[in-house]
Formats: sequence, structure tokens, C-alpha cells
Amino acid sequence: MIVRLLLAALAAGLIAGMAITPAQYVKTIPLIMQAEAYEDGEAGHHHGTADAGTAEDTESAGHSHDAGAHGSGSEDDGSMLGLGRLGDTILANLVAGAGFALMLAAVALLAGLEFPAGRDGVVRGVLLGTAAWFCVQLAPAMSLPPAVPGFPYADLGDRQAWWMIAVLASAIGVWCLTMRPEWLVKVLGVVIIVAPHVWGSPVPEDLSSEVPAYIASAYAAASLATTLFFWLLLGGLLGFFLSRIPRDAEA
Amino acid sequence: MTAKSVSLSLTDRNGARTVAGLMALVIGSILVFGVGLANSQTLHDAAHDTRHSYGFPCH
Repeated sequence: MIVRLLLAALAAGLIAGMAITPAQYVKTIPLIMQAEAYEDGEAGHHHGTADAGTAEDTESAGHSHDAGAHGSGSEDDGSMLGLGRLGDTILANLVAGAGFALMLAAVALLAGLEFPAGRDGVVRGVLLGTAAWFCVQLAPAMSLPPAVPGFPYADLGDRQAWWMIAVLASAIGVWCLTMRPEWLVKVLGVVIIVAPHVWGSPVPEDLSSEVPAYIASAYAAASLATTLFFWLLLGGLLGFFLSRIPRDAEA
Repeated sequence: MTAKSVSLSLTDRNGARTVAGLMALVIGSILVFGVGLANSQTLHDAAHDTRHSYGFPCH
């Protein structure tokens, strides 16, 4: 049974991780590449080619971001297995999908959520995915907006710590709100969700940036939209797969 | 006798769910940490677009 539960989560995660890749290539990654051109100060030379260039153009634009910072020039640098930028992103999306799916399944199993067979299990999974999107994407984004390269940054460690605290607090808060009947606990849940935002996220001292505001705001919306698609699909698939594991399965 | 065996299998099932949940939590956390947060240059470069797209703090 343990193996089947883990495999169900893994399957849902790999499918959703694969599915988000084209969504990213339509919405978020063109904006990342445009922003990288501004980050490198090459916007004047390559005006208009960053988003609509040939494969070679986008490849070199993508890696010039790393090249500028770390002194590596060739196309394959920074690629772990020589897969190129697309291959790296697919691999990272599959691993992220599997990781998020396992954590989502863990929450469902430890919180005692049941997934009834048929449509109800899928609906419950979609609701679980929506809650996860709120905790992992929307809640942290309210104080730490998704950022393109070339943005003014506060200290990375501070932001990562705040991000993890915000995600964890949101998850605990949503659990209090949705899984507990007591009103006092529900109120406490809201307080826990709001607390990291009242405390405040790390903000850079200088907010000026080379990256145009239009790209930045389009990017924040694109990031939230593509991840909403990911989490809804992941939740629905997870509900469907988990509902098909018999309650008395042996292995 | 019947009641006992039923309650036993119920405990087994809940136990299996808890074990699976904890295993999934540990493995999932490691994967998400590696893709999204690990402070390794190679991992950062490979997962760069994914990190940005998911809104992980980056750079």
C-alpha cells in the first residue's frame, strides 16, 4: 500500500510537471528572456529579438545571464547534463512536480483526507490543489512577488527563509481554517496566515531597475496563472490516482 | 475475535498511510529543496527558469 501511494503521487507529479513546461514556454519564459536582455544591458543592441529570436538567439540570450555573472561563455555551460536550456527546464519541472506531488500527498495522508472513487475524489483533489496554490504561490507572492532576472534583490538567504516560513504558516493556517470545526481555531488560522505579512518580507533598499515595469507586472500574473494550472492539474490527478487505490490494498 | 481482527487491520491501514505520508514528506521536501532552494551553482543554473516560474526566491 505504501508503494502504491507513493507511486500514485509520483505519477501525478510527473504528468503535471511535464504539462507546465509548455505553459511556461508560452507565458513566463519569454518574459524571463526579455528581462535577461535588460539585465545584461544588451537591450539596445538586441531590441525586439529577445522574445522572438531563433533558437540560437534565445539559447545565447538565456545563458548570457549566467555568463555575465559567472564568466562562462559557451552554450552548454550551466546545463547539468548537456541537455540545453529546454532540457534542463523539463528535468527541473519533472523533479519539482514529483516533489510537490509527494508533499501534497503527504499532507493529504497525514491530515486523513479520503478520496472517494469517481468524480468526488477528483473534485476533492482539485480543492486540495487550490489550497496548495494559495499556500505555495499566492500567499508568499503577496509580500514577495515572483521576480524576473534583473530585479533589485534583498539578501537571498533572508528571502528564502521568509518564503519557507510564509508557505509553512499558510499551510498551517489553511489546515486550521478548513479542517477544524472550532471557531477559535479558524480565527487562529487567519492570524497565522497573516502573521508573516505583518512581520514583513525582506525588501531591497534600492527599488530602481533596468527591467521595464510592464514585463515585471506581466510576469507576476503569468507566474501565478501558470502555477494555478499546475496545482489544479496536480490536485485533480492526485485525487483521481489516490481514489483508485483500494482501501485494503496490500502493497 | 472478528471485532479484534477488524480493528487490527484498521490500525494497519492507518499505520501504512502515516508511514507513506512521512516518507512522501521527506522525499518530496528533498526534491523541492533541490530544485527550488539549494544554494548550488549547477542546480541553480539548471533549474533557473523553473525557479523563476514558480516564484522561488532566486539570485
